[in-house]
This record gives sequence, C-alpha cells and structure tokens, in this order.
Amino acid sequence: MTDQVKETIYRVAEDVFEKLAFLFSFREEEREPMDYGAAAVAGVTFTGQFEGRLALAVSEEVLPELAANMLGIEEETTREEQQDALKELINVVCGNLLPELAGRKKMFNVNAPLILSPEEIGVVTAAPPAAAAKLALEDGQCDLMLYLDEGVSLDPESSEAP
Amino acid sequence: MPMNILIVDDSAVMRSMILKSLRMAGLDIAAAHQATNGLEGLTLLNEHPIDVVIADINMPVMNGEEMIQRMKADDKTKNIPVLVISTEGSETRKESLKEQGVAFIHKPFSPEQIRDTMNAIHNSAGRT
Repeated sequence: MTDQVKETIYRVAEDVFEKLAFLFSFREEEREPMDYGAAAVAGVTFTGQFEGRLALAVSEEVLPELAANMLGIEEETTREEQQDALKELINVVCGNLLPELAGRKKMFNVNAPLILSPEEIGVVTAAPPAAAAKLALEDGQCDLMLYLDEGVSLDPESSEAP
Repeated sequence: MPMNILIVDDSAVMRSMILKSLRMAGLDIAAAHQATNGLEGLTLLNEHPIDVVIADINMPVMNGEEMIQRMKADDKTKNIPVLVISTEGSETRKESLKEQGVAFIHKPFSPEQIRDTMNAIHNSAGRT
C-alpha cells in the first residue's frame, strides 16, 4: 500500500508542479533525503477522513524561479513572495492528494500552510513519514513527506482505512 | 461590458495568478478588488459595485463557505455570481456549492477554464 501511496504522491506532485509552477520534475527514488536544514520547508496539517500533515522541502535555489513562474513575472521576487508561492504549492498538492488517497466523496479540511522553522522541521521530520517522494528539479531538489497521525493507516485491510 | 470583480484568497500569489489569468483570457476587467479572507470580502462588497466574486474556500478569519452563506442571506449581495477556485477536491462539497448556484474551478487551473467559466457566468447573469 505504501508503494501505491508513494506513486500517488509522485503523480499529484508532478502534475501540480507542472501546471501551477511550470516546473518539470524527475523522480529520484534512490537518493538520500535532502538536508532539510539547508532547504525551505513548508508544512500543512489536515483533518477529515484521516488526519496528518504534508511537508514539502525545496532547495533554496528553486524558490526564485518557483515564485517568478507562479506570479508570471521576470523581475526579482521578494522573500515573502517566494514563501507565499511555496505555501500555495503545498496547499494545492495537499488539496489534490487527499481525495486521490481517500476517495472523491470524502471531505477534508486543509489548514493554512506554514513555513517551518528549523526547530519545527526537526520535530516534523523526526519520525519516519508514512510515504515520501523525492524529485529532481532543474535548479535543485524537492522532497514531499506525508505523515499520518498515530493509529491511522492507509492499508485497506486495516480497520481505520479510509 | 467591463466587469468589476472581487478576488478573495489569502494567498497573494494566487490572487496575482487569478488576475493574470483573467487578463490572459481576454476578459474585460474594469476594476479588480482584492481581499485576503471572507470578512474583508464582505466589507469590499458593501463598499464597491461588484459583478462577480472569485473566492477560495480555505482561508483564515472567515472561510469562503461562510462568506457565500452571508452573501446569499443579504438582499444586496445574494444575486452576485460567485466562482470558487479551490484545491477542494471533495465531490460532496462541490455538489453543495453547485446547489447554491456557485461555479467551481479546481486548482491548478488554466486561463481557458477561467475564461469559459467567467463567460458562462456573464451570459447567465445577462439572461436574468
């Protein structure tokens, strides 16, 4: 089941990156996770059919292009615009991912995405994710980690499966 | 006829993307007002003549669903067409919006989707 979840994360992320930010991505399953201390990391929590958090880490080098593409401008973008773009990106990935995992009739509430501080990144990434995807982008890398609250399983044979 | 629109979304990047898409789609926009949540949106609706509201669902302070409910309960705003552009993927919630006469576009979207939906809203409003 983890493989199916991982495949879904890859598919949704690739689609959203391309359509929303005009960024092409390539799967990098074999590499080590990124150094999250040197990356920009956004997180979003959700409640509903199941509860948890999605985290998105992107190389700092990717942020200017990400924001410029989303804003449709060629000028230099501000740090605030870059962080806003990253938050919107994870918001759209999460909003598209959850119905893919739980079914299109299930309702979720996706909370406002946040840029995580180094301390928060440490707390969030301390536990292994339920599933993760690692992507290469033109100017850097991207990791997506799905964390589910204790007791939640996406295994269809589990009693708590969606 | 040029339209006065109100874009309600807590993301400045998304408000900018929507506005750019409206212009790329060739829609005639007279004024584009912007709000970061439903409460700000309701305030702007009382201050300006608005032809179409484009709103997100998940926002702080007041979400899009509550803003739409309050619009529908107010004689001054109940007939203003609303287009929701959201990541919300639940068919249940989409059906609920449809029952309220609210148009829906899923994020990520294309300028063509915005153009077609806005034209449908405009034509529908012109018939009533």
